[in-house]
Amino acid sequence: MFRFKSILSRIVFLHVVAVVITSILMSLALSWLLSYATNNIHDKAMQEQAVSVGEHLRALPDGSLELKLPQDLLGLYSQPYGRYSYAVIDGKGRVLFSSLGDHAALFPADTGSSDVEFLQQRRGDATVSGASIKKTVGDQIVWIQAGEDLANRDVLIDDIVADFYRNVGWITLPILLVLLIADIAIFRRALRPLRQASEIASKIGPTRTDLRLPTEEIPQEVRSLVSAVNRALDRLEEGFRIQRDFTADAAHELRTPLSILRTRLDLLKDEKMSEALRQDVDGMAHIISQLLDIAELDSFVIDPSEKADLRSVAAEVAEFVAPLALAQGKDVALLGVDQPVWVKGSPEMLNRAIRNLAENAINHTAPGTTVEFVVEDNGTVSVADHGPGVADEEKNLIFQRFWRRDRRKPGSTGLGLSIVQRIAELHSATITLENRRPKGARFSLRFMPLRS
Amino acid sequence: MRLLVVEDNEQLAELLTKGLQTAGYEIDVLSTLEEASAVLRTTFYAGLILDLGLPDGDGLTLLRDLRHRNNPIPILVLTARGGLNDRVQGLRSGADDYLVKPFALEELLARLEAQLRRPGSLVGSSLRIANLEFDTQNRQASIDDQPQVLSARETAVLELLMRSKGRVVSKKQVEDHIFGHSGEVASNAIEVYVHRLRKQLSERGAKVQVHTIRGVGYLIAEEK
Repeated sequence: MFRFKSILSRIVFLHVVAVVITSILMSLALSWLLSYATNNIHDKAMQEQAVSVGEHLRALPDGSLELKLPQDLLGLYSQPYGRYSYAVIDGKGRVLFSSLGDHAALFPADTGSSDVEFLQQRRGDATVSGASIKKTVGDQIVWIQAGEDLANRDVLIDDIVADFYRNVGWITLPILLVLLIADIAIFRRALRPLRQASEIASKIGPTRTDLRLPTEEIPQEVRSLVSAVNRALDRLEEGFRIQRDFTADAAHELRTPLSILRTRLDLLKDEKMSEALRQDVDGMAHIISQLLDIAELDSFVIDPSEKADLRSVAAEVAEFVAPLALAQGKDVALLGVDQPVWVKGSPEMLNRAIRNLAENAINHTAPGTTVEFVVEDNGTVSVADHGPGVADEEKNLIFQRFWRRDRRKPGSTGLGLSIVQRIAELHSATITLENRRPKGARFSLRFMPLRS
Repeated sequence: MRLLVVEDNEQLAELLTKGLQTAGYEIDVLSTLEEASAVLRTTFYAGLILDLGLPDGDGLTLLRDLRHRNNPIPILVLTARGGLNDRVQGLRSGADDYLVKPFALEELLARLEAQLRRPGSLVGSSLRIANLEFDTQNRQASIDDQPQVLSARETAVLELLMRSKGRVVSKKQVEDHIFGHSGEVASNAIEVYVHRLRKQLSERGAKVQVHTIRGVGYLIAEEK
């Protein structure tokens, strides 16, 4: 069975069906009423004619009856005109008077009939329809019949009846159209809040769990659904919050025991052993702070008025990571513009993003090579290494949380680049990743520059 | 020099005490805000090491309270909270410095020293990298315990680098350190001094290396 995909098309279809049925029934009813009314008028007129014929009946002293019609009535019933006719019948069914040429009754005499009767009778090609009334003249009971040849019926009335279907047909079409247009307009209007709600709904995601669908303008019929969805979102948000808080709490809780461990190692006499263990602790601390960064970023709302000098942030990061790089026999260099480059965003967040790119680059660049930071005045900062580069099929994977090309390689959590991506998202910045020739990768972050 | 450590984790408090005592400080340890607040009203300490998460409240309230009473005691905050807002809030509440757990004891000592503004008065007044030593009290460099004669500017650069051991010193910092804020500095002047210092150190057999980080600054480290 055919099913409508949209409520609008369903309503339009049902409405067309309803209007078609209604217009058929309406025209049938109207035409029935019209013919009923015209018949009624006809019957009444015939009855009146019979009465007026009866008024000219007189009983003569010999007991016979005399009919003396005035001139105007005679004209009405004249044979050439042929439209109206009358007959007077006595109790025995004999025809006393008749306007018809063959001196016949209009309708078969039925002496048992009541005072007034409406009858119809075929006479040759014509159909005569009329009334028969009972009247007592002198001491005789007579029936006076008056009739009209239907073939000659009033042309005006015939026209009305004949035109009726066409007229009604023409009226229903514009009514149908007006109704449909009104329907569509009403429906679209009623659906507008739903469209707005769906726009809002499309923005809801793991990073925006605070949004709710508006209920004020939503039609009552759908409101309960929308409210139910909102309550479902409340529960989801709560779930997300619990998970986020758990990550943050767990990371916090790990920090104090790690501090104890770290301090114990710092106080250890065996320098060689403590150095190796210290590196392990630092690695663990790194994972914990990245987990916290992610938990924080998931609920971070950026202040739109904040601005940052990309150049000085990049310099801070380069200063911060340089000892790390040197310790691994690698180098860093900050190139590009010397002037401040102001962009929209949080300096702390930008620092974290660039730092993660830098740590990633230092991890991957070959020993003896330099990781290059380049700041451009269009709001771009790029970090380039001399490492193996990124294969095409891995270009999307590397931004996923906990993804690592080589899980055995120490010092990598698989969280760094997903932090970078999240910060870029928050700042509406674009990340580009390209491979360098002969080898190496370049990650670029392009922020929105502020023109001052 | 007496410091107050407010830390509720007994083990960490004990280890900190040990580490700080080794570095020549005298240490008192308290574990609640209430005790700390009471003791600080009557006893003078050279510095306060304050943990934020304490059993009877947030260390930040003590911090605000102290600053409200115009107590200028140098305060170093230790915390497990490392979020951006936590850090900003901590510093706004009047902390002089902020260390996120877990931290290196060395880092804590370095920050503390910077806060106490009394370089040279403590154990560790001489800074050492490999066979190079720099005595901050009489500003004397020695290699393999042999005192070395360096020019005033070379000494100044070396002192700054040694004090910032393990960290990058920006070119601007070197400029400010040597020339102050006054006077025009030739654009390559710093590079010239660093170059000379590097040459002197290597000629005299110091097993250290002065790295130039392009676009960023300089860093002294053990030679590899």
